[in-house]
Amino acid sequence: MIRHVTTLFVAHLRDERRAGEVMLVIVPFGTVALLVVPMAVGIDTPLLDRIGPGMFWVVLLLFGTIVTQRQSASLGESRRDMLTLLGVDPAVRFVAAALAAALLLTVFAVVIGAVTFVLYDPEVVDPGWLAAIVPLTCAGIAMVGTIAGNVAGGLGTRSSLAPLLVVPIAVPILLAGAQATEGLRMGLGILRWILLLSVVDIVLALAGVLTARPLEES
Amino acid sequence: MIRPLEIAAGLMLATALVLGLVVPPDAVQGDLQRIMYVHVPSAWLAYLSFAATLVAGVAYLKTRRMRWDHIAGASAEVGVLFTGLALVTGSIWGKPVWGVWWTWDARLVLTAVMFFVYLGYLALRRSFDDPETRARRAAVYGIVAVAQIPLVHFSVVWWRGLHQPPTLLRPGDPQIDGPLLAALLAAVFAFTVVYAALVSRRAEIARLEDLLAAPSADETVAGSGVSAPPIVRDTR
Repeated sequence: MIRHVTTLFVAHLRDERRAGEVMLVIVPFGTVALLVVPMAVGIDTPLLDRIGPGMFWVVLLLFGTIVTQRQSASLGESRRDMLTLLGVDPAVRFVAAALAAALLLTVFAVVIGAVTFVLYDPEVVDPGWLAAIVPLTCAGIAMVGTIAGNVAGGLGTRSSLAPLLVVPIAVPILLAGAQATEGLRMGLGILRWILLLSVVDIVLALAGVLTARPLEES
Repeated sequence: MIRPLEIAAGLMLATALVLGLVVPPDAVQGDLQRIMYVHVPSAWLAYLSFAATLVAGVAYLKTRRMRWDHIAGASAEVGVLFTGLALVTGSIWGKPVWGVWWTWDARLVLTAVMFFVYLGYLALRRSFDDPETRARRAAVYGIVAVAQIPLVHFSVVWWRGLHQPPTLLRPGDPQIDGPLLAALLAAVFAFTVVYAALVSRRAEIARLEDLLAAPSADETVAGSGVSAPPIVRDTR
């Protein structure tokens, strides 16, 4: 099973490397989003300092949804049939797709995080915690996005429908990530937000694995 | 044809509305509080209908009977209606009491999130032509969405809170006067019967829609361009 996950995970990353959707399209798009916000709210440096982390999380959630719904993430029907004939468990496919999306999202988060630091100059007291908060958040968004992608798979409206499926149920992820960084900024405890992120990730992982097989039946 | 459940729902709703208008006004909020006779039952039905969608979704995955899918879809549709009603009536009440149409309170945010989760659920259902694919995928999304609702609840409660604590379900004695409590309970009961009547009718319509969409046995599937081959009798 681990071998299947690893093989599919690498295949997803190879697909992304060939397509270049995340690094060549979504990362520049997210950067532009961070760049235009000050043009909408005004060039008020203390205000931008305050809203910078919030902008980071909003861009991560909204553009993260695009990362999880990228064209290279959706297996074609023939590829899916082939994997089914080879005896690859649908749960394995979910895990591999979610892992690949989580890794790509983490890369996306690192890039837009750096852009946020440059453009907004937010104050973070203990940045070491970000090494736990960001991957946990990315894993959560990746799993919600992968489940939504599977549920809406094969539909012509997939790209417009999936964000509506993902964003409302990703509210705890957004709140936990945003409140944890706010806690770091204010020097407050953030353990309950880390706990919430961990619980959300576990629930989503279980939901994704347990519902993978019913989704496959036809 | 009007069913007995629908007649009962209409009568109970009328009684509840009359009760809500004739009971004395609230000591502090005056007549403004009467909106609670619509707001509280709507909010209760929002939770009930989404719980019913979850149960029906699980039942569909277990039994694969389309009836459960029809109930899940009907319950979500009615739930969206009542969630919207709870949001609108809460907003109308909030403006004179809190001074704003909307505030970033935990329960308000949770209700709005539920509203959008189930708008997504309904959009997903509308996207499929094949009833079985629709039923299976909607059931899975419904389960994942409902599993997230308690987490959304905790996240927004930890975030901030302004909404008043429970009045009716407070441990000990309810902080509400007798006649007002009677009117509120009558409204909750009447709305619940209305919910049952609406879900029952909508599920029946969904069943008939599926029946209408299914190809019948004698239907021409290849169009008029293809004719049946001639029957050649073996005369040997």
